[in-house]
This record gives sequence, C-alpha cells and structure tokens, in this order.
Amino acid sequence: MAEPATTMHVRQVGDRAAVIDIKGDVTAASEPVLMSAYEQADRQGATRLVLNFRGLEYMNSGGIGMLVTFLIRANRNRQELAAFGLSDHYREIFELTRLDEAITIYDDERSALSDAAS
Amino acid sequence: MTSVARPAPRRLASFALPSVPGNERIALARVAETVGGLGLSPARLDKLKTAVAEATMNAIEHGNDSRAELPVRVEVFQSGAEVIVTITDRGGRSHDGVPENRAEVPDLDRKLDGEQSSGGWGLFLIRHMVDAVDITTRGGRHTVRLMMRIGSRDTRRGED
Repeated sequence: MAEPATTMHVRQVGDRAAVIDIKGDVTAASEPVLMSAYEQADRQGATRLVLNFRGLEYMNSGGIGMLVTFLIRANRNRQELAAFGLSDHYREIFELTRLDEAITIYDDERSALSDAAS
Repeated sequence: MTSVARPAPRRLASFALPSVPGNERIALARVAETVGGLGLSPARLDKLKTAVAEATMNAIEHGNDSRAELPVRVEVFQSGAEVIVTITDRGGRSHDGVPENRAEVPDLDRKLDGEQSSGGWGLFLIRHMVDAVDITTRGGRHTVRLMMRIGSRDTRRGED
C-alpha cells in the first residue's frame, strides 16, 4: 500500500500569524511535511501558528504523537498554537488527549485569527 | 437463579491482511462497510473505526513486526445488541515486554516536560473509543477484542 499522502501549505497572515493548511492524513509518516511547514512559518517570523484541519482525512495515534512534538517545538520558541476545521470526532480526540488545552480550537479561520489580533 | 440465554455470536466478516503499515486503513474501511447497516450512530461508528485502525496498526507493527508475510486476522461478529471486532496477530516481540494492562498511561504534561516520549497514544485511544476492550494472548496468538453496543448514544456529541 502506498504511503498516505499529506500536503501542508503555509500562508502568512499579517506580520505574526501563519496558517498551515493540512490536506490528507496526519500520521507519523507526515512528520517531515509538518516540520517543514513549521520551519517555513518560523522563518517568516510567525508567533501564532494556526493549523487548518478542514482537509484532514485521517489522523491516528502516530499523528497525535507528531502533534505533541510540534507543540514542544512551538513551546520552546514561545509560539502559540491554534487549530480550526476539526470534525467532531477529532475534536473529541483532542479533548481526550488534552491537546485542546495546549492548542486552542476554533470553529473557523476567522475566529482563530481575530483572537490573535485582539 | 435464572439464566438468560444469549444468542450465539453471528460472524459477519473475516479477513486477513498482510502486515504492511498502512493496511489498517483497509481494516477500518472493511469493518465500517460490514457494520454499516447495524444501527451504530455515525459518531460511534467513527469511534469504532479509530479503535479498529489503532488495534490493527499495533498488530502490524508490534505483534507481527511489520513482516508482510505474517497476517493480521480481523473478524466481525454481532451478538445481540453488540458489535464485536477481533484483531489477531502472532504476539511478537513488542507484546512480550510490558503487558498492555501495565503500559504507561500517556500524560500530555509529562510529554511536554520530556518525561514521556511524544507517542504511546494507541492503546489509550482504543480504550476510550469503544465500550469494552479485552486483550488475550493464547497459543502464540495475541487478540484484541473490541465491543461496541448498538443503540447506545454518544452524549458527548449531543446525540439524542
């Protein structure tokens, strides 16, 4: 079976925020793609990283572990993490794992970005 | 004392998959297709799919060491108002270390402090996704049995 496809596109929004559009799967195999997106956002000087999960097709425990690694890097660099576009199912998984306490979850992109601006 | 006869479990599907990472997606799709008409709500079906995927991934990677020639067997049963899915591997090296019932519970704070690795969420997810989990190792076979009640509601998701 082919490796699951994951693409991540980084959009800079204003001076300090970056939205990472995730499309496909979030698994351990996605780590190089996510870390590359992180580095791009970091180079652009983003202090708030917003993960867009609208295009998420599948996430497993390996993907959750990868998000923890992502969170550790962001914490180390004093960057805030936010997310939007999670389905109810994955939102519940964020709650179970308590990722929602470290990654603020919003209903949509506008809320995620306007909260950053306030 | 009176006893209530339980109907014999009815096998709905049985299939084997090569132990190739990624094949858990096939397992979850086939289980979802099999139980599709049994009355599980969409929210609970999502949970069962996640549990099946995680258990199959563990079987592939830890039970069968990702050796493609070793099959992971998946069986789906209906027993009264319960859906039961069993995932069986050969019980290889990774099951021989720390038993699952004594595996460390993942703790996000400890992970962020570097006291735990960032992974280790699989069994935690399985246990929270289904109504009951039973893990047995017998005769060189390691089986995870997942049970989901049909007709139960998921109050967290506001189902009524």
